[in-house]
Amino acid sequence: MKSIYRYFLILAALFVTTATFGQSVHDLRLNEMMIKNVDNYADEYGRHVPWVEIFNTAYNTVNITGCYLTDDTTGLAAAGKKGGVIPSKWYKIPTDQKMYMPQRSFLIFFLDNSPLYGPFHTNFTPAESRTRYIALINANGKDLLDIVEYPVSLRDTSLTFGYVMDGQRDATAFKKGTRAAGELAFLKEFTPNSSNETEAKISKQDKLKRDDPYGIGMALISMAVVFTALIMIYIMLKIFNYVTRRATQKSKAQEQAATPAKAMASKAGEEDDDTVDGPTCAAIGTALHLHFGSMHDEESEVITINMPSKHYSPWAQKELTMKRNPRR
Amino acid sequence: MLEFFKEGLLQFLSYSGFGNCTWGHIIMICIGLVFIALGIIKEYEPLLLVPIGFGIIIGNIPFTDGLQVGVYENGAVLNYLYFGVVKGFYPPLIFLGIGAMTDFSALISNPKLILIGAAAQFGIFAAYITALLLGFTPMEAGAIGIIGGADGPTAIFISSKLAPSMMGAIAVSAYSYMALVPVIQPPIMRALTTPQERLIRMRPPRAVSHREKVLFPMMCILLTAFLVPTGLPLLGMLFFGNLLKESGVTKRLANTASGPLVDIVTILIGLTVGCSTQATNFLRPASVLIFILGAFSFVIATASGVLFVKFFNLFLKGDNKINPLIGNAGVSAVPDAARVSLVEGQKYDRTNFLLMHAMGPNVAGVIGSAVAAGILLSFLY
Repeated sequence: MKSIYRYFLILAALFVTTATFGQSVHDLRLNEMMIKNVDNYADEYGRHVPWVEIFNTAYNTVNITGCYLTDDTTGLAAAGKKGGVIPSKWYKIPTDQKMYMPQRSFLIFFLDNSPLYGPFHTNFTPAESRTRYIALINANGKDLLDIVEYPVSLRDTSLTFGYVMDGQRDATAFKKGTRAAGELAFLKEFTPNSSNETEAKISKQDKLKRDDPYGIGMALISMAVVFTALIMIYIMLKIFNYVTRRATQKSKAQEQAATPAKAMASKAGEEDDDTVDGPTCAAIGTALHLHFGSMHDEESEVITINMPSKHYSPWAQKELTMKRNPRR
Repeated sequence: MLEFFKEGLLQFLSYSGFGNCTWGHIIMICIGLVFIALGIIKEYEPLLLVPIGFGIIIGNIPFTDGLQVGVYENGAVLNYLYFGVVKGFYPPLIFLGIGAMTDFSALISNPKLILIGAAAQFGIFAAYITALLLGFTPMEAGAIGIIGGADGPTAIFISSKLAPSMMGAIAVSAYSYMALVPVIQPPIMRALTTPQERLIRMRPPRAVSHREKVLFPMMCILLTAFLVPTGLPLLGMLFFGNLLKESGVTKRLANTASGPLVDIVTILIGLTVGCSTQATNFLRPASVLIFILGAFSFVIATASGVLFVKFFNLFLKGDNKINPLIGNAGVSAVPDAARVSLVEGQKYDRTNFLLMHAMGPNVAGVIGSAVAAGILLSFLY
C-alpha cells in the first residue's frame, strides 16, 4: 500500500513540478526601458512617455495578471507575509486578455503615472521617483521577479537600457543581488516590442553548433526526457497493476465468502488465474508466429465456425437472373 | 515530307524516356527492382517495399522537365500526392492506424519493459552525434538520427521538417533497415548475450482488464504530450487510435483506422516516398553517408536495448529477470523486431516463447521514438 502511494506521489510531484516550471512568471524579465522619451515609442494617445518592456523568456504562454510593477520595493518583505498589505504605490497589472504573454513575446508598459489611461499605464513615473530602478514583483507580493537598476544618466539621455541578450540573466548573481558584468547596458538601438539583439541574429542551428558542437549535451538531455516520459508511464502502469490486483483480490474474497465450497477449493491450492499459464502463452505465441509468418494477400480457403455472411441478395444472384431452361 | 517525319520522330524521341535516360536513372530503377524483389521473394516488409520500390521506378522514368509529371513539379498529380509527405500529414494518419492495431497488454502487464523502449532510442542520438562529426548540420543530423528509431512514418515526419532535401534518402533508408531487421539484429543479439542469458524464462504476463486498456491511451497522452508537445501529432494519433480499438464501442472507426485508412495512406506514402528518390536528388555522396549512418544508428539502437536489459537484470531477482533477447525489440519496428526475439529465443530453447514479452518493449519503442522525435523538433525546428 505504501509503495503505491509512493508511486502516486512521485507521479503527482512530477506533474506539479513540470507544470510549475513550465509556466511561470519567474521567466519574465524587464528587458528594456526608456526614461527620457523625446520622440521615440509613443503610447496609444501619441504621447512620448517613459516605458518599460517585459519579455517572456519561456517557450510557453505566461499570464502576468496580478504581478506588480514599481519603482519602490519598500515593504516587499512585509507584503509577502501572511496578512501583509501590498503597498498602494505598486502598480498591479490588471486582468486583460493581452496579459497572456505568448512564448518569447514582449509587452510594453508606460511609466506615466496615468493608470486611468488603460491597463498598460502605471501609477508611477521614474521622472518623479527618488529611486533608480524598476522592479517586477510576483502576484504573491513576495518574490522579486526582476529588478533593473538604471544609471542616473538614463534620465538625461534618449537611450534605452536593458539586457544585451534578451532576458539572459545570471541566476546566481541575481540571487546575491548583483549582476554579471555586461549583462545590462545602454542599447545601441531602440527596440520596443522586439528583440534587443540587433546584431546578426544567431539562428537556432548556429547556436546549437556553437554551444553543443558535438551534440553530446543534446543527446543527454534528450535521453533524459525520453526516460522521464517512459518512467512516468511506468509509474502509471504500476498504479494500474496495484489497483487491478486489489480489485481482483477483493472480488475473489467476495466470491469465496459467497460460495464456501469454492473457498475450500481455493485453499486446497487452486492456481491464481491472474496470470496466463505457460501452455497458453505457447499457444498464443505459436498462433501469432504462424499468423505473421504466413501473411499473404489471398486466402485460398477459409475454414471457420462462424456463420458465413451473405453478400448477395437474390436479385443480384447471377443464377436467378439467367433464363432457365424450359421445363418439360 | 520525309523531313517532317524525321523531325517529328526526333522530337518524339527527345520527349521519351530513351532520350533523357542517364546512368543515374538506370541505377535507381535497378534499386527499385531490388526493393520489389525483396518484398515479393524474401517477403521483407512487402507492404512497404513493394510500393516504395515501384515508386522508385515511377520516380526515375526519365522525362523532359515542364510536362507536369514529376513528383517535384508543381501541378503534377504526383506532386499533389507528395504533399502529404512534405507537410507531414501522412505519418500521423499511419500512427492512427498503428494505434488502432496495437495491443498494449504486454506492456501494461509488465511495465518495466517500457524502459527498454527508452534505452533503445539511444541509437537516434548516437547517430546524431556521429552525423555532426561527419559535417552534417544539426538539423540534418537530427533527421538522419531518427532512422535509429526504426519507425518509417516518424522518419518521414521529422525529415520533412528538418531536412526536406534528404527526405527521400532518409525514408528509403529507414524502411530498408526496418525490412532488414531479421538480418541486422540477430548477430548483434548473439554477440552481446551469453548462452545462459538466452535461456532465461520470463514470468508469464498477467491478464489485463478492459478498464486498464481503455485508461492506458488516455493517461499516456496526458503524460507524454504534456512533456513533449512537439510530438503531439504522432503521439496524439497513436493513442487516439488505440482508444478507438480498446473502447469497444467504436469498432467501426477502429476497423477503418486499422484497415482501409492505414492501407490507403501506406500506399500513398510508400509510392510518393519512392517517387521522391529521383536520381538527380538521390544519387549523391550524402545519400551513401545517410545509409551508413542509418545502419549505424540501427545497430546502436539494437545494442542499447540488449545491453540495457543486461544492466537491468543486475537489479532483478528470480523470475523477474528479463531475457536480453527481447532487448532488440526496443526499436519500434512492430512487430518484426518482436518476431526476431521469438525466433532467436527458440533457437536456444524451443519451448521458450518470447513473442508476447518482446511486444512490450516493441510498442514502448513506438512511444519512445515518437517522444524522441518530439524532442528533436523542439531542439532543432
